[in-house]
Amino acid sequence: MSSADAAGDRKDVRVPALAPDCDLTRLDLSPQEGFLLSRIDGHTPKDLLSQLAGLPPHDVDLCLARWAEAGVVVWSKAGPPATERVNGASATRAGAPPRLEANASSPEGESAAAATEAGSPAVASDLPALDPGLDIPEEAQQAILDFHERLERPYAEILGVASDADARAVKRAYFQLSKEFHPDRWFRRDIGPFKEPLERIFRKVVEAYELMSDPTVRAEMERSLGADAEAAPVEGADSADPKAASERAERRRKRALSPFSPLGRLIAKRKAKAKSFFEAAMAAVSDERWLEAAASLRLAVAYDPKSALYRERFGEVQAQAHEIRFAQLMKEADSALSFRDRKDALRIYEEALIFRPYDPEANHVAAKLAWLAADDLHRAKEYAMRAVEADPDKAEYHRGLGQIYAAAGLKANARRELKTALRLDPRDLEAKQALKSL
Amino acid sequence: MSRVIGIDLGTTNSCVSVIENGQPTVIPNAGGYRTTPSMFAISHDGKRLVGHLAKRQAVTNSRNTVHASKRLIGRRFDAPEVQKAIDLCPYEIVRGANDDPRIKIAGKTFTCPEIGGIILREMKRVAEEYVGEPVSDAVITVPAYFNDTQRQCTKDAGKIAGLEVLRIINEPTAAAMAYGAGHREEEKVAIYDLGGGTFDISVLDMSDGVIEVLATGGNTFLGGEDFDRMIVAHLLEKFEENEGIDLREDAMALQRLKDAAEKAKCDLSEREKTEISLPFIASDDSGPRHLQLEMDRATLEALVHGLVNQTLKTVEACVADAGLQPGDVDRVILVGGQTRMPLIQKAVGEFFNKGPHKGVNPDEVVAIGAALQGEALTSDESNLLLLDVTPLSLGIATVGGHFAKLIERNTTVPVRKTHTFTTTRDGQSAVKIRVLQGEAEAAAENDLLGEFILSGIRKAPQGEPEIEVCFDIDANGIVSVSATDLATGKEQSITVNATGTLSQDEIERIIEDHELYEVATKE
Repeated sequence: MSSADAAGDRKDVRVPALAPDCDLTRLDLSPQEGFLLSRIDGHTPKDLLSQLAGLPPHDVDLCLARWAEAGVVVWSKAGPPATERVNGASATRAGAPPRLEANASSPEGESAAAATEAGSPAVASDLPALDPGLDIPEEAQQAILDFHERLERPYAEILGVASDADARAVKRAYFQLSKEFHPDRWFRRDIGPFKEPLERIFRKVVEAYELMSDPTVRAEMERSLGADAEAAPVEGADSADPKAASERAERRRKRALSPFSPLGRLIAKRKAKAKSFFEAAMAAVSDERWLEAAASLRLAVAYDPKSALYRERFGEVQAQAHEIRFAQLMKEADSALSFRDRKDALRIYEEALIFRPYDPEANHVAAKLAWLAADDLHRAKEYAMRAVEADPDKAEYHRGLGQIYAAAGLKANARRELKTALRLDPRDLEAKQALKSL
Repeated sequence: MSRVIGIDLGTTNSCVSVIENGQPTVIPNAGGYRTTPSMFAISHDGKRLVGHLAKRQAVTNSRNTVHASKRLIGRRFDAPEVQKAIDLCPYEIVRGANDDPRIKIAGKTFTCPEIGGIILREMKRVAEEYVGEPVSDAVITVPAYFNDTQRQCTKDAGKIAGLEVLRIINEPTAAAMAYGAGHREEEKVAIYDLGGGTFDISVLDMSDGVIEVLATGGNTFLGGEDFDRMIVAHLLEKFEENEGIDLREDAMALQRLKDAAEKAKCDLSEREKTEISLPFIASDDSGPRHLQLEMDRATLEALVHGLVNQTLKTVEACVADAGLQPGDVDRVILVGGQTRMPLIQKAVGEFFNKGPHKGVNPDEVVAIGAALQGEALTSDESNLLLLDVTPLSLGIATVGGHFAKLIERNTTVPVRKTHTFTTTRDGQSAVKIRVLQGEAEAAAENDLLGEFILSGIRKAPQGEPEIEVCFDIDANGIVSVSATDLATGKEQSITVNATGTLSQDEIERIIEDHELYEVATKE
């Protein structure tokens, strides 16, 4: 995301953020959409969101546009159009205002490459500016800022060792970095806003150390890394050559997804998890334990959203599971009604509607129960309308809606619905009577 | 800047150390002793006695003399360890308001942190007399296997003593710091710490002043006092056999037997044979009776063999936890007075296939390490860094009473871990997050640190909502937990306050109480 490749393939670096004080519960979202929404943190730019959520960029665009319209999401000031240049690291270094910008695309200058392509937009956003008033020397502050920018690099680079370094070298590097970046170094000192980035650095160093000294992880990394294992070339020199720039972009992409990088490592881990859930689900399917299978598949999809296979099977199994649950609940509701427990029946119907929101009969009955058992005409109207919407040719449903309108005192609406009911079924006595009493 | 002291608050003895010109010094008390008995008593005439003074009158006043209260601190009254202590201790242990064990002597009830506070205050006083100025900052050590509540209670004890507790660190880790300060080369070190009341084992990796804890393990209810108890039981049996008198209900005789047992145990570390002589220990119609008996090392070793084997099992598990073979350990350091016993030196040496390191004083090394950690935290001069770990796993209770661990034990702190959970019922709109600490599979067998409810989850079929739970432990070991509904962004969080500890009000009341008492004694 450096300015270098902004010239070649222009990336969308706009940053969506959640609107403050916005009630998210009123949105009706699919789990995938919910997941996408949950990834919006005000720092992560749009194109990275699509990667994180595992959704095609087009879908992400659509969702974001919809949410922006609904006022849930706002585009943060950070980096509207990708071409706009904002303060880069070099500016901050001179003591400029704090960097709020999420993904500073640094202008030319010596620090361009180092500062931007490594600095993860997700975490680089809240870095503080140097502050001589703090109880920590400015050189140490600068060291924290500099190191923080490298946190998204491959683990070996974070530790400053070769990717094939032995356990002893890895440990030495870890100890050395701990001496510098363990929070205890500044125990009881006022290090102000540097506390959070410092802890982040130390946690990342521990993570790098743990993974690089785990022999099974190392073996896996080396297997899948193959030919890319060469150390990444230093870059940032000749941004004029577009071909070189696009090659660099490709290398960078590969590196970001390589098992050495935190992101690549994360994806590999999630994929393995997804697979184990998928296997559990398939076992459940063969035993016709549909509810269990659906739950496992849902997790498989959540962990590996890109797998078409998981999605497809999830769709099928979930439909099956929902049918089963719906049928179970209908039975329960019948039994509740046979005991004349209408309140309980309403509760069960409402639960059933979670699984088949547009079932006309269930909505129709739920409407009646909401009206008669809970005295909630508003809710009753919602259900009755949905029944009518789902099956507009059924006189009974129009009559039901009409009766609820009548009870609510909305006479014009009531007449319209009752008349429709009579048009569909001229022998509907109940509708006739209701119309008469209006 | 005022100086930081390091205190080893032991089950039987405590020790305090301070750094002078970069060198750690163990501070002797007024009597010239380098350790002070962790004892507190109220004498017959109502005087409060601490340390050697308390110990000296323990024989004649055993019911009003508290020892080994560290075994009770931070536990629940119903815990088996407390019930065991009730059977063993001559003083009275009662149920407190928070279901905690409290100690009742001379008609007055004390909480365990309060007793700890009294002993710490004594150690603080010893240090102040030595350095000639007030001391307020301290690093205090606890057994590695202390849980969060026990650590919190120890911190409370520090507050009661008027100390600012900079850090609570593990005893074996402290010992490693003391060793690491003088040995900069790369080594893997095992610390075998058998003190008066607890057993700890830690495996560490150190190099040039950085000390990484690889694994810890231990047993908070196994220590030198159990060795003494084995000897006492043996003496009781012998006496009954020879004289036909059962001394088990005689508190004063028991206290004498206990002292004699301890002495015999120490003697047998130096010699092959010892004499136990307790004249006039009992009397009956035929006149006074004396306990007179000879004991050799082999007899003692036969008595305590089982206890030593018990520690070796824990050692084995800990070494495996560290991902090592016993032979990978470069150095074995013995800590705690009990490790003077030749049987232990032999058994540990055989296990690791190398003789234990000589050159640290097992009674003092922990306090020295604590002082070094205090120095490392507060001074730019120090070049030591401790990479500490969580002693016990942390996680939450899940459906079916299971325990889902989020942070495994022996994880380096500070650390943050997240994991996604889901609902178990259709349309479920709230989940209860129960934060647990421990190693058991079943949730109920672990310690409950706190709980909270995340509500307002979007209604959905079971298994669909995604609830992300995040555990965070900062460098000071403070645990905070948050739960977020990923669909709605709704979040709920707590900072874990260990249960069963004293409230701030209670602590202040106790401090006031003791200050009143201080004034009273000076008059």
